[in-house]
Amino acid sequence: MLLEFEKVDYTYPSSPQPALQSLTLRIPQGKRCALLGHNGCGKTTLFLLANGLYKPQGGAVHWQGSPLRYDRNSLMDLRQKVGLVFQDPEQQLVASTVEEDISYGLCNLGLSDSEVNQRVGQAITAFNLSELATRPVHHLSLGQKKRVSLADVMVLQPELLLLDEPTAYLDQLQTRDLMTKLRQIQATGTTIVMATHDLDLAYCWADWIFILNQGQLILEGTPQDVFAQREILEQLHLGVPLVFDVLDKVAEALSNNSEQADYQVMGNIPEPLRNRILDVFRYS
Amino acid sequence: MSSLQIDTLAYSSRLRQLPPEHKLLFAIALLLITYAADAPVQLLVAVWLSIWTVVYAGIPTSVYFRLLSITTAFWLTSLPALMVNEIDLSVLPSVQTDVFQGFTWENYYIYLSHRGIQQAGELGARAIASTSCIYFVILTVPFTEILNVLRRIGCPELLVELMMLMYRFIFVLLQTANQIWTAQQSRGGYRTRKLWLKSLGLLIGQLLRRTLENYRQVSLTLTSRGFTGNFRVCHSRQYRSSRRYSFEALLGCAILLILTGWNYAIRI
Repeated sequence: MLLEFEKVDYTYPSSPQPALQSLTLRIPQGKRCALLGHNGCGKTTLFLLANGLYKPQGGAVHWQGSPLRYDRNSLMDLRQKVGLVFQDPEQQLVASTVEEDISYGLCNLGLSDSEVNQRVGQAITAFNLSELATRPVHHLSLGQKKRVSLADVMVLQPELLLLDEPTAYLDQLQTRDLMTKLRQIQATGTTIVMATHDLDLAYCWADWIFILNQGQLILEGTPQDVFAQREILEQLHLGVPLVFDVLDKVAEALSNNSEQADYQVMGNIPEPLRNRILDVFRYS
Repeated sequence: MSSLQIDTLAYSSRLRQLPPEHKLLFAIALLLITYAADAPVQLLVAVWLSIWTVVYAGIPTSVYFRLLSITTAFWLTSLPALMVNEIDLSVLPSVQTDVFQGFTWENYYIYLSHRGIQQAGELGARAIASTSCIYFVILTVPFTEILNVLRRIGCPELLVELMMLMYRFIFVLLQTANQIWTAQQSRGGYRTRKLWLKSLGLLIGQLLRRTLENYRQVSLTLTSRGFTGNFRVCHSRQYRSSRRYSFEALLGCAILLILTGWNYAIRI
């Protein structure tokens, strides 16, 4: 396990109900995880705790088996290993040009100028930012800013990448590019956790799903297993990915259609076919 | 002409590859000459710098003259105060030599003064020359490069960081203000004078609230990115000084200095 939350409590000073209540959640190493839940279910709080920005009020957070320490050096170390991409890139980009912004985290690590420049150069090539490198940040579109904020974090070569609603400001094409990029990042051994509302995206991209509700973990598992629990998900008003809906509707139509006697015998879509269809919609 | 457009122009100017120190020194030297020199030399400075800005740097003429017209407008509004005098008829003989054109109005004599006109001319030349120096800087040196120069010449770190953050977030603030303004207008918030005031109050209040919220978020992100109390960034930009431009700048400055000195010598 890479990062573990053990019975973590967190309540914001201004809020009557807790953001996280004795939440236990373990992030497995090397996986693509999706964190699903409604607004205000505690996704962002979870990320801020994982990054050592908040301290749990109860319980503990463990990084690779040992509890987090909240002194300056340990935190510096943790924040290099756990990269957090915030939802709003506007607030994450602080320097005035793209190149300078990417260098910011490296400079904070106290690296020499030549090493910083070399690593910034690599990140700029890897994220296709060459044309934007010397442009001021406020000249970029939101999609471009999002790309820069991902590069900002990846240039530190974290072991765990946390993404808070990464597709919130992106159009279809940019989302697809982001997914390709994330696949490359995962291939280099980085574990990724993405908080999202988008069930279809979570289904096609993730290989481990967490369902969060009111600060508690409700379900976790592989996408097939989690989304098979239709009743629980409907109770939480989350629903299931479209492909599950379609398959269930088709099955229903087949069993109701009295003229199609052949299919009526089966009364359902055969299990292997169902699984094959479900598989086709993943990794697309 | 918003600050964003000026910023964009500075980033795309054709003099971008020149070292920012050279451009800043050039502008400062010319500004000093402008202070020391007479109107003809000042006009020469203005014309020469306009050539640098429009021809060499490739800033669109329309933009450049629109910017210069701001200064000119200020100058024009100050003209009446400088040139028009009004005195009691009884003291008219004592200022007779200063009168250019004038007329009597009841007990007063109102006239255009020779000295005033001369002063207005000097003021105009000086204003145009010094603003063309400033425009040369802001239109050819991006603000981030000015900050880098400040850092290199040993300006206090805190000041440079503050300016850098201000520069980054002024655009966020402007954008937020603009969004609220548009939202209010689309709902008829500025229809009457009373509503106008009320909406403006709301806008300012909202801006403050959002600024505080933004501040909280930014401090979180800064910490998450390992902020250690010292804002350091790197850049890889390479500058190339150009012999041709340096030569023209030095030669021009020398000629202007000689002209100014000669003027002083004649007067003595």
